[in-house]
Amino acid sequence: MSERTPVGGHSAPLRGVNRLFRRHRRLGLAALLTPPVFWLVVIYIASLGLLIGAAMFRLDPRSHKPTTELTTENLRTAFTDWDFVNVVVRSVFVAATVTVLCLVIALPMAFYISKIAKPWARRGLIVAVLMPLWAGYLVKGYAWKAMLRPASKFGIDKDGGFLASVFGWTPGFGMVAVILALTYLWLPYMVLPIYAGLDRLPPSLLDASGDLGARPLRTFRSVIVPMLVPSIAAGSIFTFSLSLGDYIVPKVVTEGKIRLLGNLIESTLLAPNQPLAAAFTLWPLMIIITYLIGMKRLGAFESL
Amino acid sequence: MGESTITGARIRPAVQLVGLRKVFGTAANEVVAVDDVHLEIGEGEFFSLLGPSGSGKTTVLRMIAGFELPSAGAILLEGQDVTRLAPYDRDVNTVFQDYALFPHLSVHENVEYGLKVKGVKKTERRRRAGEMLESVRLAQLGSRRPSQLSGGQRQRVALARALVNQPKVLLLDEPLGALDLKLREELQVELKQVQREVGITFVFVTHDQGEALSMSNRIAVFNHGRIEQVGSPRDIYDHPSTSFVAGFVGTSNLLNAALSHRLFGVDAVHSLRPERIRLVHAEVADGETCVSGTVTDIQYLGADCRLRVTLDNVDGTTSGDRMLATVASDGLVGVALGGPVRLAWPRFAAYTVSSTDPTTDQTTDPMRVDFTGGTPP
Amino acid sequence: MTTSSKRARWGVALLSSLALVAAACGSDAKSAATTAVPATAAPTTAAPADTQAPADTQAPAGTEAPAETEAPAGTEAPAATDAPAGTDAPAGTEVPGATDYHWTPDAGVLAGAEGQVNLIAWAGYVEDGSNDAAYDWVTPFQDLTGCKVNTKLGNTSDEMVQLMQSGEYDGVSASGDATNRLIVGGDVVAIDTAKLPSYADVFDGLKLKPWNSVDGKPFGMPHGRGANLLVYNTEAFAESAPDSWGVLFTSGNPSDGAVSVYDSPIYIADAALYLMATQPDLGITNPYALDQAQFDAAIALLDQQKALVGQYWGVYTDQQAALEGGTVLAGTTWQVIVNLAKANGATIDAVKPVEGATGWSDTWMIAAKAANPNCMYLWMDWIASPWANAMVAEWFGEAPANSKSCGLTSDPEHCATYHADDEAFWTDVWYWQTATEECVDGRTDTKCVPYTEWVNAWNKLRA
Ligand SMILES: Nc1ncnc2c1ncn2[C@@H]1O[C@H](COP(=O)(O)OP(=O)(O)OP(=O)(O)O)[C@@H](O)[C@H]1O
Ligand SMILES: [Mg+2]
Repeated sequence: MSERTPVGGHSAPLRGVNRLFRRHRRLGLAALLTPPVFWLVVIYIASLGLLIGAAMFRLDPRSHKPTTELTTENLRTAFTDWDFVNVVVRSVFVAATVTVLCLVIALPMAFYISKIAKPWARRGLIVAVLMPLWAGYLVKGYAWKAMLRPASKFGIDKDGGFLASVFGWTPGFGMVAVILALTYLWLPYMVLPIYAGLDRLPPSLLDASGDLGARPLRTFRSVIVPMLVPSIAAGSIFTFSLSLGDYIVPKVVTEGKIRLLGNLIESTLLAPNQPLAAAFTLWPLMIIITYLIGMKRLGAFESL
Repeated sequence: MGESTITGARIRPAVQLVGLRKVFGTAANEVVAVDDVHLEIGEGEFFSLLGPSGSGKTTVLRMIAGFELPSAGAILLEGQDVTRLAPYDRDVNTVFQDYALFPHLSVHENVEYGLKVKGVKKTERRRRAGEMLESVRLAQLGSRRPSQLSGGQRQRVALARALVNQPKVLLLDEPLGALDLKLREELQVELKQVQREVGITFVFVTHDQGEALSMSNRIAVFNHGRIEQVGSPRDIYDHPSTSFVAGFVGTSNLLNAALSHRLFGVDAVHSLRPERIRLVHAEVADGETCVSGTVTDIQYLGADCRLRVTLDNVDGTTSGDRMLATVASDGLVGVALGGPVRLAWPRFAAYTVSSTDPTTDQTTDPMRVDFTGGTPP
Repeated sequence: MTTSSKRARWGVALLSSLALVAAACGSDAKSAATTAVPATAAPTTAAPADTQAPADTQAPAGTEAPAETEAPAGTEAPAATDAPAGTDAPAGTEVPGATDYHWTPDAGVLAGAEGQVNLIAWAGYVEDGSNDAAYDWVTPFQDLTGCKVNTKLGNTSDEMVQLMQSGEYDGVSASGDATNRLIVGGDVVAIDTAKLPSYADVFDGLKLKPWNSVDGKPFGMPHGRGANLLVYNTEAFAESAPDSWGVLFTSGNPSDGAVSVYDSPIYIADAALYLMATQPDLGITNPYALDQAQFDAAIALLDQQKALVGQYWGVYTDQQAALEGGTVLAGTTWQVIVNLAKANGATIDAVKPVEGATGWSDTWMIAAKAANPNCMYLWMDWIASPWANAMVAEWFGEAPANSKSCGLTSDPEHCATYHADDEAFWTDVWYWQTATEECVDGRTDTKCVPYTEWVNAWNKLRA
């Protein structure tokens, strides 16, 4: 083959387009970005606007349909009624607790997988971490309910669920159950970014820290954790927002006794009271946006 | 190699390696990275571990630092057995090949790290880190992150971070390997200067023989996890004790046993540096060995020229033996490609070396010329 | 490492992880399996022998029924018809004549059948034999009309209203607390009874009621009625069976902490009903007509009840599982749940307490913008026809709407048991109804708390 073979097999018009894009980089960029930007603006921003708008409509009490009459009543109810603010506080508490628990479990887990486990075991462990994600969400929720079921004096299976029959103790269907189940559900979303972060961590940094006199715990605290902050922040975005938005598992594992923000929104929407539900929806929106801004400061988006 | 040949050793050895051995991998598939290494490194010495890639230099260094446990043998620091001690319990510090600076800390914080970990008071460690940065001429850049520094600057930060702890021994693993030639030469001078100032024992790993020769008090040449020779740069260069060392350090003509027998009457491999050879225009001086041959290549190197010569047999026929000679360019009168030439060298310039496995030491250094392959008549 | 050993390790990892998941699901899978076992409902024993499926039917229903059923499914078929067994037969082998189902649809409507119908229904109202092969009134309907039935279950009336507002459905089985909202909202329209032959046979007590008509115009086909019952564990209440809602509202009972409450604002009416009987001085005359003071009293009662509650159930299977598991010992329930749980071995019983009960009188309504109006008309007519209405009434445990159904139930006493034509019985059953500002009990001197406030109050109570 001679060196003067003409470049490429493109047809002339294609080459024309190519040249056009090469000459006008902006044009290429615009063509590339238009669909996602369109998606972002129309689907996200516009629907956000609609949501806020929807919260301003008055509900017709007879038909339970939104009217076109404007009111701030829904917003006032959603944001000033202490009973509802209480649900918000509880939900944030649950989401934060789940996030911290996930972190506490995921850190050593990811560390073990990434730095201690033998290379061949590593892949198996990663698969094991990911495996539960393949199972249905509802299946896992009901599995937890089944495991948490306390022993009962009456009923068909008096021994109770797995925990009660094997360990003789179960936290029952309460707050602990919600936190446990949610922690279980979202743990992989914390493990993976941390594992990825650890994988990116050059081993020589750990050697260097030890070399300079730091014991393992000190190295963990002064080198590993600070360097994992972006990964942790990224993971926590998942665990926090997923926990904050969940309503089915909390309902399932507490027999409907504990209500979180999601339950409040669901029941209001089904009431049906769309305007008030829209007003409630602004709560998680605000919380998540605040959270994301905070996490961005920590560099979470560089490690996604 | 007897103790007597050690020239730069001080009274008290800073590091002693006794029968050190390191095996990686599983029993079925084991890699002997380091094998039976005995070494004494004197206090205040600039000691180089030189060897081709994969010869086990880094592994030795990592065992001294404590990152790897030896499979056998012992490591002593100032006479104290530290074989089983963790890195943080050893009074040595390391400058890593990739520098391993903490990216989340500023330059100043990086340098302070070791002191902070050891609980040195804030004002004290501030001062010491500042002084250290001053001495590597980085005082202005203390607040930067490592990612905002050039390669040479990072190297100096790594040096400062290690030296500020005033370790008994500083371990450097190819610290200049990632730098371009010019900067490397600059830093070689600087590093040597620093070492003289602080007086700390340096154990310096390199695969660059020039670097090792120019900087070290003593050098240990590694090959396949074993030490081939320990000695001063001069020793190593002028009196390589094995054909491997002769080939690896600088360029050598290795004269095989048959040729040696013909020339010297001795049945052993000899080493002969090309620059010890001269062109014979008139007569041969006393105590010189003289050979004749045909010029097959002339390489112009500036002040010098490098000739490739195929030697003649005694009966005037062409033998398979080849020889490399480095001669001054201006003395190259009457020498032409394909023409005859006579070469001579002082008798003592050629000396016997023990032959290490010839199949393995040929491929290591592109600089060396292979002469052992010459077929005897 | 060789490829095969690598693969083996992967396999081990996969398997052990699967085992983990399986262990977690273990006990749940068991309960799921038991739920799937067909309910051997009360009618079984009463089934006459001649209801056996004909020997020559190619596909005996038994082939579909799990092995656990003791009797061939055919024996569970209602009296005087072999149809259900035949419905499992492949099309063409034994297509039963429409007369077997005591139903003759309007020919004009049938001619216009669109091929499918999308329904919102209470659980148990649209059975296709998947819960119990003997209870299948969807397959014959599909065979007879060519309308494929798609069902979305609604868990509460509120949810049904919300679903109907989406405009994606042809019709809904609406209880009285949904109907008015749907009518006012214009989501449903009046029906043309001329196209609904079954309408003529509906008990007069169910026709043209406030919750299913406007100005004498019917807004749907009555489906049947029933009462919300008090369910209790017979072992826990071995000493004395409860007969008052007080079990759910006062402490000191074996069910303390294990009370199961229906998770809907409409449950406020149950509290009001109890107060109506126990605190006459509040002056409650209708649990859906509560002025502010009465409403507050009901909410206070519910607030105090919280300490006794072990479950707020929204999905009927949740309550069923809790009744079977014994984590719930008393609660408010539907007959169908009791039937299902009993079939799985739960030691429970249900009564209508002395205070009376809230209840439902359901109406099938057609969406204003139904995409399949003819199929919806056919469905409304079918579900109220004698045979189908008998089936659904027995399965769900309610009184049928069609007077001729009483002769077709497998339990000849069914209509008597459920007081189908005993209007006196229904006087203390308060059908679900939407509370409005104008008090539904006729009071004009005060304003009542509207249902939107019920929703808010329930949300706050549950917060
Ligand atoms: N962790 C390890 N596991 C297995 N084998 C290893 C390990 N580390 C080093 N080796 C092997 O040990 C031998 C010596 O390696 P070492 O890193 O000490 O060489 P080196 O002399 O530093 O080479 P270079 O100049 O290329 O850095 C090599 O064959 C290498 O493959
Ligand atoms: Mg190395």
